[in-house]
Amino acid sequence: MSVHLLRGAFLLAVAAVFGFNALHLKIGSPAKPGPGLFPLIVSCALGLAALGMMTEGRRELTEPNTFVLKNIALITIAMMGFTIIAHWSVIPAIVFLVFVSSLAGSNYSVVRCIKISAVLIAFAAAFRFGLGVNLRWWW
Amino acid sequence: MIDILNNLSMGFGHALTTSNLLYCLLGCSIGTLIGLLPGMGPLATISLLLPLTFKLPLDGSLIMLAGIYYGAQYGDNVSAITMKMPHAASIVACIDGYQMTLNGRAGLALFAAGVSSFIGGTVAIVVLSTVAEPLAHVSLLFGPADYCALMVLGFFCVSYVSTGGSVLSGFAMSLLGVLLGQIGTDINTGDQRFTFGQDALVDGIGLISIALGCFGIAEIAKNLDAKSGFTPFSGKIDLRPTWGEFKRIIPSALRGSVVGSFLGLIPGGGPTMAQFGAYAVEKKFSKYSAEIGQGAIEGVSGQAAADEAAARTSFIPLMSIGIPENAVMALMMAVFIMKGIQPGPGMIQKNPTLFWTLVTSMWVGNVFLLIVNVPLVRYLLSIFRIPFANLFPAILFFCCVGTFSHQNNLDEIYVTAAFGVIGYTLLRLRLEAAPLMLGFILGPMLEEYFRRALTINRGDFTVFIKSPISGTIFGLIAVFIVVNIAMNLRKPKQVAASAAAASASEH
Repeated sequence: MSVHLLRGAFLLAVAAVFGFNALHLKIGSPAKPGPGLFPLIVSCALGLAALGMMTEGRRELTEPNTFVLKNIALITIAMMGFTIIAHWSVIPAIVFLVFVSSLAGSNYSVVRCIKISAVLIAFAAAFRFGLGVNLRWWW
Repeated sequence: MIDILNNLSMGFGHALTTSNLLYCLLGCSIGTLIGLLPGMGPLATISLLLPLTFKLPLDGSLIMLAGIYYGAQYGDNVSAITMKMPHAASIVACIDGYQMTLNGRAGLALFAAGVSSFIGGTVAIVVLSTVAEPLAHVSLLFGPADYCALMVLGFFCVSYVSTGGSVLSGFAMSLLGVLLGQIGTDINTGDQRFTFGQDALVDGIGLISIALGCFGIAEIAKNLDAKSGFTPFSGKIDLRPTWGEFKRIIPSALRGSVVGSFLGLIPGGGPTMAQFGAYAVEKKFSKYSAEIGQGAIEGVSGQAAADEAAARTSFIPLMSIGIPENAVMALMMAVFIMKGIQPGPGMIQKNPTLFWTLVTSMWVGNVFLLIVNVPLVRYLLSIFRIPFANLFPAILFFCCVGTFSHQNNLDEIYVTAAFGVIGYTLLRLRLEAAPLMLGFILGPMLEEYFRRALTINRGDFTVFIKSPISGTIFGLIAVFIVVNIAMNLRKPKQVAASAAAASASEH
């Protein structure tokens, strides 16, 4: 399928979500616009642009790039795990982030992960104690 | 003229004291160092280092913060050029700067960015000190409808530049950015919009979350997909240009300085729009316009000069009319107020010493950037001469800390992670994130002016055409759209094979 068709469909879906939600807000009148008027207008404009892109897709047959789920999924899991664990302590959070995100790399090394974790913990200490960033250090 | 010279001499008298010189040097150096770290743009850097200035005297704290700002901007440019890790302030630096790095000319790109920043900053300070007040009055002539037109023009400029001529997808991304900027609480009515019942969205989405997600994280995933053993700073970094290369820097830096100085003055403009404006100008007027986009010096120097010039002149709306035009200026405004100074009409008259000290310290900061930071960057960069496999977990960590430090809220990292997925999807659909960023930054302001224009004119939509300034701008946009459609219709049908080949070479 052409990339133009795909991205047109994607943006049309986004425009529909925002547009329908805007309809649930107070639209008001042009003289006294409510909170829904502006997003509704922008959603309509986005929808039109998306339709335009889909029309372009009929002329241009460019394929989309390959979507590799594994790497982005590992990165997302690593960040979400970091956030959950950092509520208690940033040290195990860093270790989790490094060990999980490194799985996305081409070659995995436990020793390397330990070294990176140690360096990042030192950075976290500098942020925490040097710059006063409110990272939770201990449980 | 004599008055200006007297004021400048008074300013230098204060800026060149040992303590203020030290604050300026410290600000520039720490700003560059922190700004160099991937994930730390000027906004995150200033937020992070703000506590350092709390106990300093008024002029010292403002000088140091300004130094941090410029230092972080240069550092941010460096991370954009070498690793394609930009923030709002360095999106354009990625285009040709990163290409120059890929071509093995990272040193030249960094040198061009440093020298152009100096030229841009110097020109902007001349503008600031000579025509600050008249230009501030000009910006007051803009009505709400004119601001709207100016912002829509900005979207088209960004779309044209970032998508290489296909305006439709870029403009759609700007609109998507505007819609994302609507998420949160409506400031006029207090109604919640598009929060989908999530508390984390009540205050809206943070700029840092979108910037780090769409650029930083999406870029990491893309590099990992490519399984490239890409090392950002491999190879020798030679900062010395040839005479021929140096000669190419000056004209584009001067053009960028003029564009940046002008766009920095206009609320809604500022460094982001200035970079895109300067890049478009280079594409149009440079002798080497054919090379732009493929690693041309002009593509780096024009935007760097505009970026720096706009960063300085963007102080004018803040100090003369009390309107912060971007998040960094809003932070600066907060510091002014914390120190007992109310930015706005009358501030320059009431605090001339502070104003002129700040103006002259900007130039002193420029000198520090040029003679200390630019040569120093090659040594700082050597810290990062490590393989991508070692680097990317660290970048992720800095992205997390950068997001967290903005509002001391860990939950914002979820939003950043979500935008990482969205950014990656956009990347795979070949949709540019730069127009989305601009739409997101300008969206709330666009809505505010749109609603104000309609309210003042009792709901009459023709105000956007009747006003001479906005009418002219919208007219130009209409001509631009018609020309673009006509050019697209003439394009021959592409075959899948050639497109796939082009795509393979890009990614």
